[in-house]
Amino acid sequence: MIRKPSYIYPLLKLTANNIRRHPVINLISISIIAVAMLLLSLYFLAYNNASRIVSAWRSDLRVIVYLDDDIAADRLAELKNYCRDLDEVVSLEYVSREQALENFRKTLDEDEDFLKDLPENPLPASLELVLDAEVSSLGDVEHLARQLERQVGVAEVVYGSRWLRHLFSLLRVVKYFGFLFAAFLSLMTVFIVASTIRLSLFSRREIIRVLHLVGASRWFVAMPYLLEGIFQGTLASLLALGLAYGGFLSFRDWLHAQVPQWPIAASLKFFSPVFIVVFLCLGTGLGIAGFLLSSRWNFRD
Amino acid sequence: MIRVFHLNKSYNYPDMVLKDVSFEVKRGEFVYLSGPSGAGKTTLFRLLFADLSPDSGQIVVNGIDVSRARVKSIARLRRRMGIVFQDYKLIPSYTVFDNVALALEVTGYPRSRIQKTVWKVLKTVGIERQINRFPPQLSGGEQQRVAIARALVNSPDLILADEPTGNLDYEIADEIMQIFNTINERGTTVVMVTHNRSLLQRFKKKVFYLDRGQLQAYVWPDAC
Ligand SMILES: Nc1ncnc2c1ncn2[C@@H]1O[C@H](COP(=O)(O)OP(=O)(O)OP(=O)(O)O)[C@@H](O)[C@H]1O
Ligand SMILES: [Mg+2]
Repeated sequence: MIRKPSYIYPLLKLTANNIRRHPVINLISISIIAVAMLLLSLYFLAYNNASRIVSAWRSDLRVIVYLDDDIAADRLAELKNYCRDLDEVVSLEYVSREQALENFRKTLDEDEDFLKDLPENPLPASLELVLDAEVSSLGDVEHLARQLERQVGVAEVVYGSRWLRHLFSLLRVVKYFGFLFAAFLSLMTVFIVASTIRLSLFSRREIIRVLHLVGASRWFVAMPYLLEGIFQGTLASLLALGLAYGGFLSFRDWLHAQVPQWPIAASLKFFSPVFIVVFLCLGTGLGIAGFLLSSRWNFRD
Repeated sequence: MIRVFHLNKSYNYPDMVLKDVSFEVKRGEFVYLSGPSGAGKTTLFRLLFADLSPDSGQIVVNGIDVSRARVKSIARLRRRMGIVFQDYKLIPSYTVFDNVALALEVTGYPRSRIQKTVWKVLKTVGIERQINRFPPQLSGGEQQRVAIARALVNSPDLILADEPTGNLDYEIADEIMQIFNTINERGTTVVMVTHNRSLLQRFKKKVFYLDRGQLQAYVWPDAC
């Protein structure tokens, strides 16, 4: 009777043997990888939350174009089209003079009586442009403002929230720094995995020799080390996620206890399930990469 | 089964260990490879399963040109032969059972049948009581029988054995020879390295006699 070859059990046995033979080295290696992955996950956690909260304030990224009082209707239409066609502009809203007054009145509440004394409406009409959040550098906004000011029919251009724009540029820097940071930590992880596998290979060279002599194929010999890499990467990223979750919960509680009136603590979020899966895959992938690196060092013959 | 043409081998050129060695072993034969210590028997033996590569010449085993074959077909060839090494090559951290099972596991042998197959072969070589011991806890003769069991467990087409009775006493050596005889009668080719003359006398087979790297035309043991 022909059955499917069963390699799974012997390979797992070899892998388990390898890991059991060097519990301390594996433990150290997994801990170091876990710390690297923890740093990575804390960074992502901070970045994700910060950018989500800041994005909620994105509506303040407006540029207000005040119009001349005597602007002609067709010039207004032209100006609207011109603004809409700009790459940086996400949306546009026209606020007429009457509406501006209405809005103003609402903000005044009880004090609106004094408006009755006004001979005429002093407020100009305006176009309110909402910019793409990607346009976060102050220089870009200033440039845009000057460009708009030169248009016929435009009286003045105002753009608010300098600090918010600074925050956005800061976030962007943090994002790029994060990529570098992630790349560095990943590289470190790959090297750690590769080194432990190399050590494991070295201490098992007698067994590897016997495996070759009894006719084990190359992949059969190599597979336990691939599994070891996967084991280290996956376990370390699980550990890192667990620690990050613990840290996240206590940070949120601490923040809530410090400033209970601040709603930010409640709006902090941990990773989404998709992100968690991606993160675990990253750990596994780094383990595999570590194996590949060590096999470049070792399995060449 | 085995064909060797004009084989030359040196470890430190130009000190030739094997000089222009040619011979043939037919399918189903049982032959001895004999000669004094240091004659190059183990060297020739290791060339047969590509553990060494020759300086020149050709080795064909089971239709495969061993010195030119790729790693993959060498591995496949080794899975179909049973090799008993002069120094056993057992894994010290594996039990007797695991050592023997390893030869099955690398072939993808069904796990459910490994236990039974290993038990049977250990019983054949008379080492079943030590199944859960580790090689360092065994005597030389016991280790040798584990090594033989590992070579037999795959029911190979070809058995290569380097001094398989070297550490065994008279009676056990005879038992092992009986085992080799039995599997040879079932069609397995056997090549056995030995310098034990009394063995050559008691179990008469074709002998290839190697002396200082040169193979004498094969002789029958009465002539040595
Ligand atoms: N790895 C090696 N490197 C260098 N020289 C070697 C090596 N292996 C064997 N030799 C030399 O090659 C010669 C043949 O050795 P080999 O092991 O083939 O002899 P043998 O016939 O098997 O001897 P024995 O009966 O003692 O096992 C010897 O002179 C030995 O010193
Ligand atoms: Mg020898």
